[in-house]
Amino acid sequence: MPDAHADQDWRAWFAEHGARLRLIARQWTRSEADADDVVQEAFVRFWKHQRHLPGNPNALVVTSIRRAALDLLRRSDRRSVREKVVGDDMETVTWFEPEADPRLAALADSLKLLPAEQREVVVLKVWGDLTFDEIGEQLSISPNTAASRWRYAMEALRKHITARTHD
Amino acid sequence: MTDPDHDIEQALASLRPRAPGPAMEDRLARELDAPSSRRGVIIAWSSGLSAIAAALVAAFVFLGGIVEPEAPTYQLVHVEQTRPDVQVFHPVRMDDGSYARPMRVRWQDTTRWEDARSNTRLINYRPNDQLTLLPLETN
Repeated sequence: MPDAHADQDWRAWFAEHGARLRLIARQWTRSEADADDVVQEAFVRFWKHQRHLPGNPNALVVTSIRRAALDLLRRSDRRSVREKVVGDDMETVTWFEPEADPRLAALADSLKLLPAEQREVVVLKVWGDLTFDEIGEQLSISPNTAASRWRYAMEALRKHITARTHD
Repeated sequence: MTDPDHDIEQALASLRPRAPGPAMEDRLARELDAPSSRRGVIIAWSSGLSAIAAALVAAFVFLGGIVEPEAPTYQLVHVEQTRPDVQVFHPVRMDDGSYARPMRVRWQDTTRWEDARSNTRLINYRPNDQLTLLPLETN
């Protein structure tokens, strides 16, 4: 991900990275609407206050997203059970653009079947472009644990795809 | 030898996450394109006014410290004493057996000074209320 320079237009930056930011936010939210709220809050905070900070901008924006998502979850926990049930669209909304390649389509479906703790590692590594060290810091786990979850996820995805292609 | 994890990682990277809709850009534009939010305007105005007020106070303190103000010289221009209001009550018997008549007298004193240079004035208003006993001689 290129640096967010001072003279860069936020629209251009968001057009390039907004989709993957939303996918990352989706890992810690219950609905697409919540993910949009989180992305909005996190991106505004990042663009106004954090993009000039030293360090990996990926990690900065992911940190901002995670913090906004956790804040939203804490607020949501105080809402009614009905809202929680209605808001959980994990199984109904696709996270990716449609793929003509059946193997990729199977992969997109399989990703959602992973345990959440493995899936967030995969998303942070592939679309967050973070290292295992950085993922460990984000999730408050050791880099070894992050790498282990990644390996389990890769193995599970391979099995899913193989099973789907043999169906 | 190819790394099977690498193949899956490459395949994952080729997936295209769904982009946020145009509504998201509108929401961001409201926060990022506005020259300043309403709250920002209020804060800016508050900061500006506070700075001006601080500058005025500093100037007042600074100038007040080096310019010795000329003390006003007040001249007495008016004195007034109202007609006393006298109330006379029924006689009362004192502890020693004598009699006295309580009498209450009320009036107001007003004095006024003026300083022609500063065109200021001082007014002193003092109400008075005294209760006295007038001894009565009995035969």
